[in-house]
Amino acid sequence: MPKSDSKHGTCHMGLSRAALNISSSPAMPPRLSLPSLRFSSRSYATRLPERPPYRAPDPLRDNPHATYAELQENVTFIHRPPPTAPSPLSYTTSPASPLLKSSGFSTTGELPPTFSKQHEEKPRLSDEDVARIRQLRREDPTTWTRGRLAKEFNCTPWFVGKITSLKGPDRRKAKETAEEEHAANRAKWGERKSLSVDIRKKRKEFW
Amino acid sequence: MGYAQRKVANTASKLAHVSSSHLRALPPKHSLLPAGKAAPPAVFDAQAWAASQPPPRSTLAAFAHRIGLGKVVPSVDVIEQACTHPSFVHLHNQQHPDQPLPATNASLATLGNSLLGLFATEFVNSSYPHLPTRVMKAAVSAHVGPTTCANLAREMGVTPILRWHRTPANLTQGAVLHIDALASVPRALTALVYQYRSLRSARRFVEKFFFSREVDLRSMMKFRDPKQTLLATVQKFGRERPISRLLKETGRLSNSPVFVVGIFSGADKLGEGFGSSLKMAEYRAAEDSLLRLYLTRQPPHLLQLPTSTFPDAPGNVFEATGAESAYSPVSLGDSEVLYGSAGRAGVRTPGARSRAAEAEDDLEDYVL
Repeated sequence: MPKSDSKHGTCHMGLSRAALNISSSPAMPPRLSLPSLRFSSRSYATRLPERPPYRAPDPLRDNPHATYAELQENVTFIHRPPPTAPSPLSYTTSPASPLLKSSGFSTTGELPPTFSKQHEEKPRLSDEDVARIRQLRREDPTTWTRGRLAKEFNCTPWFVGKITSLKGPDRRKAKETAEEEHAANRAKWGERKSLSVDIRKKRKEFW
Repeated sequence: MGYAQRKVANTASKLAHVSSSHLRALPPKHSLLPAGKAAPPAVFDAQAWAASQPPPRSTLAAFAHRIGLGKVVPSVDVIEQACTHPSFVHLHNQQHPDQPLPATNASLATLGNSLLGLFATEFVNSSYPHLPTRVMKAAVSAHVGPTTCANLAREMGVTPILRWHRTPANLTQGAVLHIDALASVPRALTALVYQYRSLRSARRFVEKFFFSREVDLRSMMKFRDPKQTLLATVQKFGRERPISRLLKETGRLSNSPVFVVGIFSGADKLGEGFGSSLKMAEYRAAEDSLLRLYLTRQPPHLLQLPTSTFPDAPGNVFEATGAESAYSPVSLGDSEVLYGSAGRAGVRTPGARSRAAEAEDDLEDYVL
C-alpha cells in the first residue's frame, strides 16, 4: 500500500482519494489516475488505450444541399431541404427530370451500387417461337403454363403473359381454380402469419 | 354544437335573410282572413312566399360592385337574372301567377360553363405540357368544377341573393340542390363579362377568381405500377433502361431501416425515394421520377394561351376586330404512356420498323 501523504501534495490520487474523500458517494468507483499528475511515479503496467472523444460531423453545418442567405446582421436564413425530398420546382426552362434535358454530359464516375440482380437480357424470340407459344397455350393451358413455357423457350413468364392471354370462360375458370387453391393455402395459416400478411398489405397502401 | 343546432344554422344560412324594407305587400292580402266571413283563407306558405320575394336592389348593386362588375353590367336586373336559377320559375309562378316569369340564368350558365372549360383547359395544358390526360381533366375540374364554383359563389356572397327552389329528382331531371344552384352563378357571371366586354376580359375575370386558387396536382396522381410506367416512359424517350441503385442506407437489420434508392438511366438520376424497405424506396423513386416529368411547369411569364389570338375588343369573337396579342405555339411533347389495357402500353417494340417483312401496321407491333 503506498504511503499517502497529503501534506506534501504528492500522492497516488486514485487510492488516496478513495481513502480520504468522505463526501463522495460510496457507490462511485475509484477514478483512473490522470496521467498528468503522475509526475513522481513510474508505472510499467500498460495503460488502457485512450481514444480521443468521438466528434461526429455536424450534418447541420456541413450539408452540401444547404443554402445560406444573410437577411440582416447576425440573422442568417438557412434552407436545408431533406436530401430525398422531390424537387417541387421543375420548370420547362430548367427541368428536374433528365428525360427532358438533352442526353449526355452527366457526371462520369462510379455510380452507386445496385442491390438487385441485374439479369442478362434474354435473346429475342423468333416469330415461329411466338406462334408456337400461342398455340401451346391455347391448346392446353393447364399443362403449358406461363412458367413452363418460359422455361421451354428461354424467356420470362411476363413476356409469355404479354404475347398470350386466355379469353373469356377459360380465363375465368383459370382464375377461379387459382383463387380456390390460394384460399385453401391461406386457410392453413396461423393467426400470426395472417396478421403479418395483412399488416404488410396495409403498409403497402401507404407507400 | 349539437346536431339540431347545426341543422338550424345550416337551414338559416340557406334562407334568404336580406332586409324586407323594400317589399310593399306585407302581409300579403291572401294571408289574411276576409273581413266578416268565416271561411278559412287559402293555404298560405310563409316560407315559400318569403323565398319568392326579390332581394333589395341595393344588395344586388353592392354585390355587383363587390365582385368588380359594377361598371360592367348596365343594370342590377342583369345581376338578378344571373342569380336566378331555373328551378325558381316554378316557385315564383305558384306564388305570383299574375306576374311575368322571371328571367333565369340557364343560358348564361351554359355559356359561362363552356367558357370556364375553355380557359381552364388551355391554362392547365399550357402550364403543364407533360401532364397525363386524366390528371389534366381532374385539374380542370378542381379549377372550375361544380364544387369550386359553389364555394366561390359562397365566398362572393351569393347565398342571400340566390333565387332557387329545392326540387327532388324526377324522371326527366336530376335533383336541384343548393350546391347546384350556387354553382350556376359564377358561370353566369363569366358569361356576362363575355357579353358586355370581351373574351379576354372574361379570361381575366376567370384568372382572378378561379386560377388564383391553389390546386395540388401532386396529390391527384397515384400510380398503380410506377416502375412499369417508368420503364415504358423511358423507352418512349429513347433512353437507357432504368436501374435502381442504393444511394444511402441505415439500420438494415434493425426494426426501422431507412433506404434511399435512386433510379438511374445510364448515368442520369431520374428520381429518388426513401423507404423502410428496398422495395418501398424503389417504388417511391419510380413515383418521384414520373412526377418530376409530369409536373414540369411552364413559368407563368412564358405562358402561351391560344385565346390570346382573339382581339381584346368588345363583341363576340367572330365579329370583334382589333389587335391580337403575340402567340407562339409550343411544340407538343410526347403524350404519357397508357397503362396496359389488355397488355398494350402504346409503345412500339424497338426495332419494329426495321423489320422489312412487315408492310402494314400490325397490332402485334404495339405489344410490349
